[in-house]
Amino acid sequence: MNFSAELVAKVEGLWKRYPHRQAALLPALHLIQRERGGWLSPETIRDASELLGIPDMHIRGVVGFYDMFHDHPVGRHIVRVCKTLSCKLRGADAIRGHIRSKYGVAHRGTTPDGRFTYMDFECLGHCSTAPMMLVDDEKHENLTLAKVDDVLGRLA
Amino acid sequence: MIGETRVMLEWADDPAQATLEGYRSHGGYEALAKAIREMTPDQVTEQVIQSGLRGRGGAGFPCGKKWTFVPKKTDKPKYIAVNADESEPGTCKDRQIMERDPHQMLEGTLLAAYAIGASAAYVYIRGEYPHSIRAVERAIDEARAANLVGRNILGSGFGCEIWVHPGAGAYICGEETALLTSLEGNRGYPRIKPPFPAVEGLWRCPTLVNNVETLACVTHIIRRGAGWFAGLGCPGSTGTRLFCLSGHIRNPGVYELECGRFTLRELLMDLGGGTLSGRPIKGVMPGGSSFPVLAAGELDVRFDVDSVAKAGTSLGSGAIMVFDDTVSAVDVALNIAEFYSHESCGQCTPCREGSGWVRRMLQLVRDGKAGAGDLETLWDVTTKMDGTTICALAEALVWPVQSYVKKFRPEFEAALAAGIVA
Repeated sequence: MNFSAELVAKVEGLWKRYPHRQAALLPALHLIQRERGGWLSPETIRDASELLGIPDMHIRGVVGFYDMFHDHPVGRHIVRVCKTLSCKLRGADAIRGHIRSKYGVAHRGTTPDGRFTYMDFECLGHCSTAPMMLVDDEKHENLTLAKVDDVLGRLA
Repeated sequence: MIGETRVMLEWADDPAQATLEGYRSHGGYEALAKAIREMTPDQVTEQVIQSGLRGRGGAGFPCGKKWTFVPKKTDKPKYIAVNADESEPGTCKDRQIMERDPHQMLEGTLLAAYAIGASAAYVYIRGEYPHSIRAVERAIDEARAANLVGRNILGSGFGCEIWVHPGAGAYICGEETALLTSLEGNRGYPRIKPPFPAVEGLWRCPTLVNNVETLACVTHIIRRGAGWFAGLGCPGSTGTRLFCLSGHIRNPGVYELECGRFTLRELLMDLGGGTLSGRPIKGVMPGGSSFPVLAAGELDVRFDVDSVAKAGTSLGSGAIMVFDDTVSAVDVALNIAEFYSHESCGQCTPCREGSGWVRRMLQLVRDGKAGAGDLETLWDVTTKMDGTTICALAEALVWPVQSYVKKFRPEFEAALAAGIVA
């Protein structure tokens, strides 16, 4: 399976929280996805199946359902721009258009240099500081085009 | 002028409030200590009933009443699922509690656990909230180290574990039965009710599902008394509520207010400062995007659960989205339809297919590619989605879209002919 000892220990810790191990699936997949380069390949899903004792077809179904699990390779960073109403009213369409044209990415697309994968995202819950985007685990609020370029320009 | 009454956000501007020490310096966990030492579980529930607290997730169900649905005598373990999947468009309030004052939510969770006899609580936080996840995990660790979470809390014999459970990006998981299905390690599919979660929830055991803000209120009710809480706000909407102002408003933000003491217009003008552009307001979604829009002429409604319901819409999750007259009603309706068609879980055919049809028809209208009779077809599809599905997501699309077509019909008809210029 080749998961790190640290990950296996964390998953074992998760199991203790629930009366049934299957409940640990979502938190475990977050850990596994992080360890395996940000996405869940068919091989990774088979490994996860073995580790978690859950059929791989079930895991595939779960991976396909949630927007934060990726079944295709992704860039080194994930850029999620909120497109829902509060952000739209504050200029999200212009930001989405700007990122697409300047960095040459479509929704779910990755920049040619592999720096980031771009995603239009539904409401990210920062409506009163709109428009906003989430870059990996960090939020950027009250966005302007200049601010977007500054943040994306600093990504390694 | 209307002003804020800060209870849940009283100390939110102090960064130390997120720590156990800071929280305790302002009376934190005294309500829990009082409850487990001096009150019976039924007395805690009774206080919550007396307070008049209604759920803050969107449906506004009486909180104490929900607690009484959990069976007292059962051989099964009981659970709490804290609904921290805050995903309703326009809603950013539970995040304020989790990131700035998370212990009040944990204390409320423990009080609820004591009242219903739950042995474990899971805080289901949406995956897109890494900051909330970190803050709540840190708070739980601190509370556990201080014997406030876990076994034999404060030597009382009462014990309850609390764990954070991260979601992974799915609006539907805020629906309480979908949340449970997801928590069990599945696609987030809603379940048919009954049985209600209070009777058969997680792993078919009795499970209480409460929203973050609701549980924060419980802490303040036990700390200061049901009578004090009931004296805030107005009958039917007691206590304070967190409102999220967003969109074309000069002063967007999260405000804590007593319901029933002001109209929507006063809120938008006094606290909101009117529109950012100074142009007239065209419409307001008063409680998230799942309920009908209020047009410019409907803003003098008194702002409480029952008055807003009488006006044909809902206070929902307290998310107020404002747009001015530069915006096309067709474009707003399309944005809403895009959201719900993306978020439909796909279980029920009317919603899975209908949400996509509605989205595509609105696209045609916007692009001037629709034809005569298409608005009638659109309407026909929405009526066939209403009331024909397991959960309310279909209605959450149908009701706002119908309200836009009804209240801004000339715009839709004009767009049919020529499209709209965005």
